[in-house]
Amino acid sequence: MAASTTETATKELNQRIGLTSDGSQFLTFNLGDEFYGVDILRVQEIKGYTAVTKIPNTPAHIKGVLNLRGTIVPIVELRTKFSLPTIEYTAFTVIIVVVVQDKVMGLVVDSVSDVLNIDAKDIQPPPKFGDKVDVTFINGIGKSGDKLVALLDIDRLLLDSAVKDSSKDLPVAPAA
Amino acid sequence: MGKTALIVDDSPTMRQMVSFTLTNAGFTVVEAEHGKDAVNKVAAGPKMDIVVTDLNMPEMDGITLIKELRKMAGFKFTPILMLTTESAVEKKQAGKEAGATGWIVKPFNPEILLKTIAKVLPT
Amino acid sequence: MSNDFAQFQDAFFEEAAEHLAVVEEGLLELERHPEDLDLLNKVFRSAHSIKGTAGMFGFNAVAQFTHKMETLLDLLRNGQKAVTPSIADLLLKSTDCLKTLIESVKTGAAVDEETVQRLTMDLASASAADSQPSGTSEKKKDGAPVPGRGITRTYSICWTPPDWLFQRGLDPLQIMKELRCLGNLTKVSLDVSRLPHLADIDPEQCYFSWELQLITEKDRQVIDSVFEFVREDSELSIELIETTSEPPTASISAIPTVESDGPKPIGQILVESGVVSTGVLDQALAQQKRVGEILVEQKAVTPQQLEQALQKQRQQESTAQAKKTDTASIRVDTAKIDKLINLVGELVITQSMLSDLGTRFEMNQLHVLLERVAQLERNTREIQERVMSIRMLPIGTAFSRFPRLVRDLSAKTGKKIQLVLSGEETELDKTVIESIGDPLTHLIRNSADHGLEPPEERLDNNKPELGTIRLNAFHEGGSICITVEDDGRGLNRTKILSKAVKQRLISENEKLTDEQIWSLIFKPGFSTADKITDVSGRGVGMDVVKRNLEALGGTVSIKTAPGKGTTFTLKLPLTLAIIEGMTVRIGRETYIVPLLSILESIQPTREAVKTVVGKGELINVRGTFLSMVRLYDVFNLQPEHTDPAKSILLILETEGERVAVMVDEILGQQQVVIKSMEQNFRKVEGIAGATILGDGTVGFILDVRGLLEIARREIAMAA
Repeated sequence: MAASTTETATKELNQRIGLTSDGSQFLTFNLGDEFYGVDILRVQEIKGYTAVTKIPNTPAHIKGVLNLRGTIVPIVELRTKFSLPTIEYTAFTVIIVVVVQDKVMGLVVDSVSDVLNIDAKDIQPPPKFGDKVDVTFINGIGKSGDKLVALLDIDRLLLDSAVKDSSKDLPVAPAA
Repeated sequence: MGKTALIVDDSPTMRQMVSFTLTNAGFTVVEAEHGKDAVNKVAAGPKMDIVVTDLNMPEMDGITLIKELRKMAGFKFTPILMLTTESAVEKKQAGKEAGATGWIVKPFNPEILLKTIAKVLPT
Repeated sequence: MSNDFAQFQDAFFEEAAEHLAVVEEGLLELERHPEDLDLLNKVFRSAHSIKGTAGMFGFNAVAQFTHKMETLLDLLRNGQKAVTPSIADLLLKSTDCLKTLIESVKTGAAVDEETVQRLTMDLASASAADSQPSGTSEKKKDGAPVPGRGITRTYSICWTPPDWLFQRGLDPLQIMKELRCLGNLTKVSLDVSRLPHLADIDPEQCYFSWELQLITEKDRQVIDSVFEFVREDSELSIELIETTSEPPTASISAIPTVESDGPKPIGQILVESGVVSTGVLDQALAQQKRVGEILVEQKAVTPQQLEQALQKQRQQESTAQAKKTDTASIRVDTAKIDKLINLVGELVITQSMLSDLGTRFEMNQLHVLLERVAQLERNTREIQERVMSIRMLPIGTAFSRFPRLVRDLSAKTGKKIQLVLSGEETELDKTVIESIGDPLTHLIRNSADHGLEPPEERLDNNKPELGTIRLNAFHEGGSICITVEDDGRGLNRTKILSKAVKQRLISENEKLTDEQIWSLIFKPGFSTADKITDVSGRGVGMDVVKRNLEALGGTVSIKTAPGKGTTFTLKLPLTLAIIEGMTVRIGRETYIVPLLSILESIQPTREAVKTVVGKGELINVRGTFLSMVRLYDVFNLQPEHTDPAKSILLILETEGERVAVMVDEILGQQQVVIKSMEQNFRKVEGIAGATILGDGTVGFILDVRGLLEIARREIAMAA
């Protein structure tokens, strides 16, 4: 409910400041030299990195959980998820808190850069083969000026990495 | 100077309704679930200006409560109204014999309740 | 005016539901103990309460129907009629019907009028059969008397009250005052002739008589009603001595009474001023049309549009009603709230003392500070406990529907079944109670249908003909256990296995433990019933039971013995919010162990630890061998110690099974608020939930049951 009202509110705002409704706004961030973007409507907040509590027996990209004003929020390290080399955290390292299908999660990224308006016509489908990045989690490549931004499909990314429980093997074969 | 009313009914809904009406009319309200509860509450509590009691209650019924209250020094002359249903004609007589001042026949509305209380409440 | 009470309807529905439960439970009990007068009184009181309160809201159908039940119940409790099975049955059916009637006023659902009619008649004939019909006639009171406006009457009133007037809290002055409100009291004379000699006066008796003259617009009935409470015991005469059509000037100063507020309808004014007669007015009113009809006639709207609008109106009415009934509420003993308010008061005092101390704090006052902080802690804990207790209810409220269920099941299946309830007073969270009803119903149905054998089969097996289902609730550790136990035939191992193979739930030569076999019955679509019965056997239910329980953070386990019976044990968290925990350290990580599952903590000797092939690591605790779980191993942590002799072993127990869990250190004990891991993530094996530790970081709460399973699996893998 709340998401849809923010959505309409943002749409209204966009129209007032002269944005076409078929364009979207993306929060862009860096992982190394690469630019990524997430739909700004999915971003709840951005916070500086603070230590997390590691969850036992979870994949390496699940950094742990954080206390975000009383709720337990899992933190995904995007570098690890995208098989990029891990680096020391700096003062720029931030957690982007996003909302995915009612679930709140945090993404650890090197730094945030800009909020960009990208027109629908400037978004191309993702390339078939990516060597550096697993394109499963890329919705498309956006162009803004001379910048290329990989637009994340965070629904798929986070539901895949966090929610799916691969560790559960039942002693009884599934009915199907 | 606000008046204090004691409401005795085992039905929480009835208690709420009577209490709501009286509170709005400026009464301080003490609620009790049944006769025994009421006797315990008045034994320790403040003087009551009026008592409104149901008749059919567990532990101690309304008639017994009225008899008990009339035995207490502080309740000798306090108006006591009983809530009764139409079918309980004989209850009226029993109530009067026990010392009830008057009665309110269910169903009633807030207006009747306040009017009946005004009728017997010493000024 | 009566609408003023409408805001209390929700309270009524809630209360009515409780009364219905009391009535139903009582009636079932009465079938067994028809002579129990206390029980009859209880049932009568509940019915009476429903009737009285329903009337307050104008729910006449409910009030009238309950009145019929009450009449019969009254005859029963007065001993004028005996509780026969057919009467009990009739009353039970009537209770069901009353439920639907109440439901109908609540939600607007339709009522089966035919059933209502039939039961009303049955109740009436049952009440009438061999005793005099209830002497209490139901005559409606006349409406408020219409005041004859413009006509003044002079009455002469003579009143001699009973001498015990004061003893009923009545005050003659009040009556004078009320009369004065009606008009002009022109004469008040007090007759003191009955007053005895001073020495003989009893100050609590009334010796007076009054003679009064009242000029008023009101008619006799109104004056009569002033004496309502004393009329029958007084000598009272009210005589009309004069009628004039002049309004009395004196009455202008009189306080207006409640008869009318706001303007009168125009018709009434016309009639009163003599312009038209009542007949003409009625005729005119009959011609009056509704706005919608007029608009249609003027072709402003089409009949279809009108119909749509009307439909919309009806919809809005019904949704408005539905919305209102949707709110969940809880009734709390006022004593609990009073206590809570006191505690909050104490908290406020502590807080102000602390802030006072804070504004001018010096180091030498440290002990005062610590003392007050300790007080704050005490206050907080007490408030927390009180607040939690508000949500706690005895589980009996969830049990109360089962005697009826079993009675009906017994009739349907043709089996003789008794239900034995125990532990009804066990308290647990309201939400849990509300959610537990359906799973329990499924289990009881299952026991009645599948578990218990038909009477002949029981007799053949040297069992009593009467089958027993036991429902028990008790606290165990931080949980509540509910068991549903039957003394029936037990689960059939081969039947379950062959069925599971047939349904491809397992492969033919799979090796399964008993527990794994029993848990097959919780698989969706699984049913071993040979034929589908009305009661159960459609294969829906048992999987739902498991799912519902898991949603509540609970588990269900099965114990069964062929020919002896089956026990389902449901284990549920007592409350969904807070537990008492022991904080432990493994390396640099902090974990919380539910205190109630900890039996003891020991520092083992090196010799006590044994490695047994196929059984993993075992620890000898005073002669008993328990399997040992190294928590750092299970959770892949960096421990401080890997040598059990240097670590601490916590002996934990769940569902009767014990396990030793190895940690580095015990840090302390504290209450923790359980936070869900599933809300934003998913269930993590071995972890029951998370909490926020004192330093603001997240700590995990161990899931003892899960640890046991992990241990078992690792042993299986190692073997």
